[in-house]
Amino acid sequence: MIIHYAPFPILTTLLMCCVGGLVMILCIPGERKDLIRMVSAIASGLTMVLSTWLFFAYDKTQGGFQFAEKFDWVPSMGITYFNAVDGFSVPMLLLTGIVFFTAVLTSWELEHRVKEFFAMVFLLVTGVFGLFMSMDLFFIFVWFDVSLFPMYLLIAVWGSTRKEYGAMKLTLYLLAGSALILPAIIYLVTVSGLGTFDVIALMTEGSFTPSQQRFAFLLLYIGFGILAGVWPFHTWSPVGHVAAPTSVSMIHAGVLMKIGAFGILRVGMFLCPEGWQYWAHLMAVLAVTGIVYGVFVGLSQTDLKYVIGYSSVSHMGIVGLGLATVTVDGLNGAVFQMFAHGLMTALFFSAVGYIYDRTHTKEIADLGGLSKTMPMATGYFVFAALTGIGVPCLASFWAELTVFIASFQKYPLYGTLAVGALVVSALFMLRVVQQTCFGPGKERWANLSDISPGLGIPRIILVSVIVLFGLFPSLMFDVIQTASIPLIHGLP
Amino acid sequence: MLGTLNQQPILYAAVLASVVPLIAFLLIMVVTRRRPRVSAGLSIVAITIAFACSVLLLVRYWGLAALLQVTGTWVTTGQFTVSIGFILDPLSLLMVTVVSGISLLVQVYSLGYMAGDPGFSRYYAYMSLFAWAMISLVLSPNLLQLYVFWELVGVSSYLLIGFWYEKFSASEAGKKAFVMTRLGDVAFLLGLLTLLIPLGNLDVLMLNSPDIGSTMPAGMLTLSALLIFGGVVGKSAQFPLLTWLPDAMEGPTPVSALLHSATMVAAGVFLFARIFPFFSQSPAAMTVFLAIGTISMLLAATMAMVARDIKQVWAYSTISQLGFMIMGLAAGGYVAGVFHLITHAGFKALLFLCAGVFIHVYDSNDMFEIGRQGGRRLKIPMACMIVGAAALSGLPPLSGFFSKEAIIGVLATQDNRLWLGAALVGVVLTAYYTFRLIFIMLFPSAGAPSPPPTSGHGHHGRDYWTMATPLLILAAVTLVLGFAQTPLTQFLLFGVDAGGDHGHGERGLLIAAIAGAVGGVLLAWFEFGRKGSPQIGFVERIPALATLFSERWYLDRIYRWLLDRVVYGVFSRLATWNDERIINDGVDAFSDRLVGSGRILATLHRGMIQYKLLVMFSVVALLGLYFFF
Repeated sequence: MIIHYAPFPILTTLLMCCVGGLVMILCIPGERKDLIRMVSAIASGLTMVLSTWLFFAYDKTQGGFQFAEKFDWVPSMGITYFNAVDGFSVPMLLLTGIVFFTAVLTSWELEHRVKEFFAMVFLLVTGVFGLFMSMDLFFIFVWFDVSLFPMYLLIAVWGSTRKEYGAMKLTLYLLAGSALILPAIIYLVTVSGLGTFDVIALMTEGSFTPSQQRFAFLLLYIGFGILAGVWPFHTWSPVGHVAAPTSVSMIHAGVLMKIGAFGILRVGMFLCPEGWQYWAHLMAVLAVTGIVYGVFVGLSQTDLKYVIGYSSVSHMGIVGLGLATVTVDGLNGAVFQMFAHGLMTALFFSAVGYIYDRTHTKEIADLGGLSKTMPMATGYFVFAALTGIGVPCLASFWAELTVFIASFQKYPLYGTLAVGALVVSALFMLRVVQQTCFGPGKERWANLSDISPGLGIPRIILVSVIVLFGLFPSLMFDVIQTASIPLIHGLP
Repeated sequence: MLGTLNQQPILYAAVLASVVPLIAFLLIMVVTRRRPRVSAGLSIVAITIAFACSVLLLVRYWGLAALLQVTGTWVTTGQFTVSIGFILDPLSLLMVTVVSGISLLVQVYSLGYMAGDPGFSRYYAYMSLFAWAMISLVLSPNLLQLYVFWELVGVSSYLLIGFWYEKFSASEAGKKAFVMTRLGDVAFLLGLLTLLIPLGNLDVLMLNSPDIGSTMPAGMLTLSALLIFGGVVGKSAQFPLLTWLPDAMEGPTPVSALLHSATMVAAGVFLFARIFPFFSQSPAAMTVFLAIGTISMLLAATMAMVARDIKQVWAYSTISQLGFMIMGLAAGGYVAGVFHLITHAGFKALLFLCAGVFIHVYDSNDMFEIGRQGGRRLKIPMACMIVGAAALSGLPPLSGFFSKEAIIGVLATQDNRLWLGAALVGVVLTAYYTFRLIFIMLFPSAGAPSPPPTSGHGHHGRDYWTMATPLLILAAVTLVLGFAQTPLTQFLLFGVDAGGDHGHGERGLLIAAIAGAVGGVLLAWFEFGRKGSPQIGFVERIPALATLFSERWYLDRIYRWLLDRVVYGVFSRLATWNDERIINDGVDAFSDRLVGSGRILATLHRGMIQYKLLVMFSVVALLGLYFFF
């Protein structure tokens, strides 16, 4: 395993942007809302710039782990502060940077407890960044919990529909997940006998027996899978989306669910490759069930956010299916889909959030004819829907296509079902678009204002990135391949 | 032959043709959205450049004995590669010229038709998007690239059908079109996957090579061919996925002319022609295609016989003619099918654009209404419409006659005479419904009051001429294109092993076809044209038949039923019920139990200080007893 140490701790700098932003926000008096917003925008903008730089600076010809930085933290227990990025985590950092910055801009109009809100968001994102870059099991677990804790408050305080219920449900589910992850981590560290939490050391020298791997992988798969919205552990996710405020939904669906899939990849598949292969068929079954099930449930929802929530279940199923194929194409597609879905769903929630802020309803039946009064705002909505149904030359098309190819090869039946779900997904996305945006304009919504250029910026960023990676998918595939090929070829 | 751009600078023309409309689309969306005239200008300049490039390429490669393919890698991942590039062979060169030419005419026409529409810029943006996708589609050297642009033309069709989004029926029709073609596209994609996995790539030239049959088992090949044909069925609105096309007429008429008759729906037939040698490897699949083409051709023709809406008649006729092309191709007539595709693109665009003028002036789609209001006073559109109608009916010497004759000639070579008979019946029906429309518009029934001439001419003076010029050009093309049959055949035959289909039908067949067409026209004349005719068709005298035809053979009802009862009623409801009742309530019940059991334990920790003290005392006492004794 090649590790390139960084001359300058760029990853820690990235983390420090979040922590620094958090500290500054905490120091500013709560009344100075504009200052807080500015600081948040600058700090999150810096993370976006840094993560973009990292994405393009990552050396695709070398591959392996780059920008590594490693310090002993608790030597007696083998805990190290060890950060590094590879082809899997670099796209995730980029995604987090983009979604973070756009989410901050999207919540520009928030007026209620601005300081606390942004502080919580910063804490959450710190955890997410930390998890994606950390190569130490102890830190992975800590960052995982750091990113979960603020969700409860963000939903319970700033949320809407059934917010206490949604917040409680989400928190309990995710804590149940971490209750499975922790024993798995401790188990792996103890049976290895190496006395270290270092992922790379455990991977290369761990020599776990197949039965140990099967046991640990199952725990990790379910534990992280809950967060990834794996069927049948998904019901927290639509409920949570509906209850959460707009920017939190963006981060939640855009980034937080990816943590789950990434955790399965980084911990489960790296450390327990045989467990992965052993359980692959089960993963494929659950993933396909999620894909098909998600679109059918989405078809009969009446709340806009529920619809998007279930589309996320279906789209995350595609990630799961890609991982379950245990092939290079499957992994490439899965990671690309994590990235593409993150952008798409962030755009979706930001568009819905704008509509909700103006109309104060998310009931599809109440809406309709909105394109007449807010052509730009609904334009973003339609764009997100088209991305969601896999229109070519937009990022998720390539991700889905790759997963379809890989799964069709490995599991022809499941591949066929997943492709077939495309029809229903088109039906339910376009149904929502038609019923909210099109049709005769309604009297009630005649005086609403369209999205302002300022609030348009985050949406434009998301649209451009989706188009960029849709037209030039190799930008993404070439990076992911540096990690997926060694992983698959190193399989026992 | 593989080429590179630098070897032959003229190839940049192909790049230019496919990229310029995309640039126009992006510019309009980002920059000139608020300036309608600039947007229209951008779009028209772009398509003019594309058209000029295609003509240049066509002229340059006419009679050249080599085909050219230029590709670069678009995506590489794991085991598969998608390349992007273009292939220049007779088929793609002809198609790209047709597509860009008709696009140009329609865009000019739209200047008049769409004048003053609030979504003018958006309209031209979508038109450019379509032009980009369609040109890239026909130039695709491999099926994955073709699939990408195939989906994109579907998107532009969705956007353009629902262009007047405030009309509920328009947005509904857009959705229906997208979902129904998606149904076919899923089969198409699965078919591509069955080929991609054993073969590794989907180059057209490789698929078309004669030894493809030896690389995979015959059953697999037939399966792939049938699945890929699913895409053709969806896109070209063939049986059983044909009902979206009549609904798609909700879009602006120039859109119907361009997308839903001349070019986009013909993409299905184009795909058939593109991999014709591959499909021909499987005789079983070819027979299925022949049957589907025949059924669509006849079903749609019957529907057209009772429609009152001009655009609906042309829409059914489009389905019917596409079915006819598929019959020709499936019977082994590569040149005949492609030739009919080209002539049809010309005269059907003409017919739609003429209909558009009437709709624009009289604000009605109903042919009786337009006739009553004095439609024949619009001399240029009326004359052009008659030219187009005669071509559609297959009357000599118009373009449609030659191409229909070619297809009938091919069908006559089939052992089974059924197909030939069906085609001749189709010819009669086509002539009948076409001239039914013409006669109704030309000779409104005597009793109807004739309103004073509309002021349409005066008000729309400039618009009228903007719209009339493309009509004249298309009519001229329709008049002369038939005589280009021989050079076109020679050009098309290069490079494709198309079998011996280039012989004309025998004399008897020729007479039968002309007699069929004339018979249809005469029947229409008897019922609708002659003085004092009742203007009631023979179909309408049989109510059951008339209902069957106007209900589109109940196909729509069946789909509606499937959607409501099966998709929503069973799958969606069951899944939702399961999600709410079983999974969610299950989890909630579990946590309630957990909370409940917590309560039982918690009773031990409630107040009741005396009780606690008593327990404490007893415990201490018991411990004391234990230790001291």
